[in-house]
Amino acid sequence: MDIKIKVKEVLANLLKVKIEELKDEVSLINSIGVDSTEMVESVIALEKSFGVKLSPKEITKNSTINDIVNNIQPKLSTE
Amino acid sequence: MEKIAITGIGVVSPSGIGKRQFWANLKSGRSFIKKITRFDASLYPAHIAGQIDDLEKYSHISERLLKKIDAFSHMALVASEMALQDAGIDIKNEDPSLVGIFLGNAIGGWLYAETELRDLYLEGREGVSPYMASAWFPAAPQGQVSIYYGIKGFSKTVVSDRASSSMALGYARKVLAKNKLNMILAGGMEAPVTPYALLCCNTYGALSKNNNNPQGAYRPFDKQRSGFVIGEGAGIVVMESIPRAQERGANILGVISGYGTTCDGADRINCASDGKELARAINMALSDAKVNPEEIGYISLDGLAVDLWDNSEIAALKLVFGNNLKNIPLSCPKSMFGNLLGASGALDMIIALLTMEHGLVAPTLNLEAPVLNNLNYVAGEAREYKVSKSLIISRGRGGINSVLVVEKNGGKK
Repeated sequence: MDIKIKVKEVLANLLKVKIEELKDEVSLINSIGVDSTEMVESVIALEKSFGVKLSPKEITKNSTINDIVNNIQPKLSTE
Repeated sequence: MEKIAITGIGVVSPSGIGKRQFWANLKSGRSFIKKITRFDASLYPAHIAGQIDDLEKYSHISERLLKKIDAFSHMALVASEMALQDAGIDIKNEDPSLVGIFLGNAIGGWLYAETELRDLYLEGREGVSPYMASAWFPAAPQGQVSIYYGIKGFSKTVVSDRASSSMALGYARKVLAKNKLNMILAGGMEAPVTPYALLCCNTYGALSKNNNNPQGAYRPFDKQRSGFVIGEGAGIVVMESIPRAQERGANILGVISGYGTTCDGADRINCASDGKELARAINMALSDAKVNPEEIGYISLDGLAVDLWDNSEIAALKLVFGNNLKNIPLSCPKSMFGNLLGASGALDMIIALLTMEHGLVAPTLNLEAPVLNNLNYVAGEAREYKVSKSLIISRGRGGINSVLVVEKNGGKK
């Protein structure tokens, strides 16, 4: 499955928002008003879903969907 | 101290959600105590309660928020919305720094807490929701309601067992009387119908074990009393100064005119048997309200349905009201829906407001053979009384006494 689609599905399902609300180039704080606790939960969910280690410093409220995909992609090929 | 107006009521209870449904059920004298169905409670010594099963129908809270909060915060959010609507207040038009929230709670949000603690031991730390830390503790509803409405004024959560919400109302009045805020959402919420909370309530030892007759189990002041029954819910009101309420043309449902609180200082669990400190709290509240005992037209009883507590409550009332006590209607309507612990005082005050509005005292259920026969208990069915001043008694574990005096339209008949 396309990584971007999967990231959106994980976040939409976890945060109970619509997939359309998650914009490729808009930060999570600006698109869905994500809070810090939701970010902790999101990082854990993405780690479980993709089987990679992610740092809360790398993925923050200011990350866009594209930022998250770019963070996960290289780890998938190495881990 | 200055009288403070109540201009909106929000109620979430086993006897109904919203003040109309709540009052319709109360005046009909119908019991809402049932066997607990939320989980298998059959092995608990006491497994009956006043339970709310249809909160979602009245809720506008998003799924996204619901997963972060416990049921007691959800109840507080629904009750707050109803109170604001009833008061005709759009909080967006208020100065948020001059709006406060004062809530009472006794035990916290255990449904959330115990589920996550289970996951901690089953799955390790990664199994625990990050919302756990902000969902379970007694001040969580205050936080959630303040975030939801953008409330930024001085606010408090009072934790004082069953007297919590009565104290929150008394405290809120004090803050408004000092002109520190424009308005306050005040009251309390409790959600004890969970496996662990029910266990703790059972351990307390004061619950009725009459599981085979849920509707007849809670019988305050009756010779056959065997303890109280827990219930869940929230009662929240809008409080503001009388001039402000008049200026904006609000419907003043009643005013809080007096408050008194004392401690028995006698035992870790029990109250003192002589009722003297409760009597002192009642006198403080009456004096604060500048109301003579003979002016009180309705007394809302705490009514724990435990010998020591009921007897000391009546002893206190006799100390204050003397021979006139037999002329004042007394009732404990929570016998219909359960004791909402930290939210019980707020519900009792809301009932007193509705009593004064409708000229009808809601009954105490199951009071068939009073321990003391010469008092004016309103038992079995509602009775008409024109009431302009009410006294509301709340008591907590170890002998915490909290008493409110509320009046109809400033006490004018």
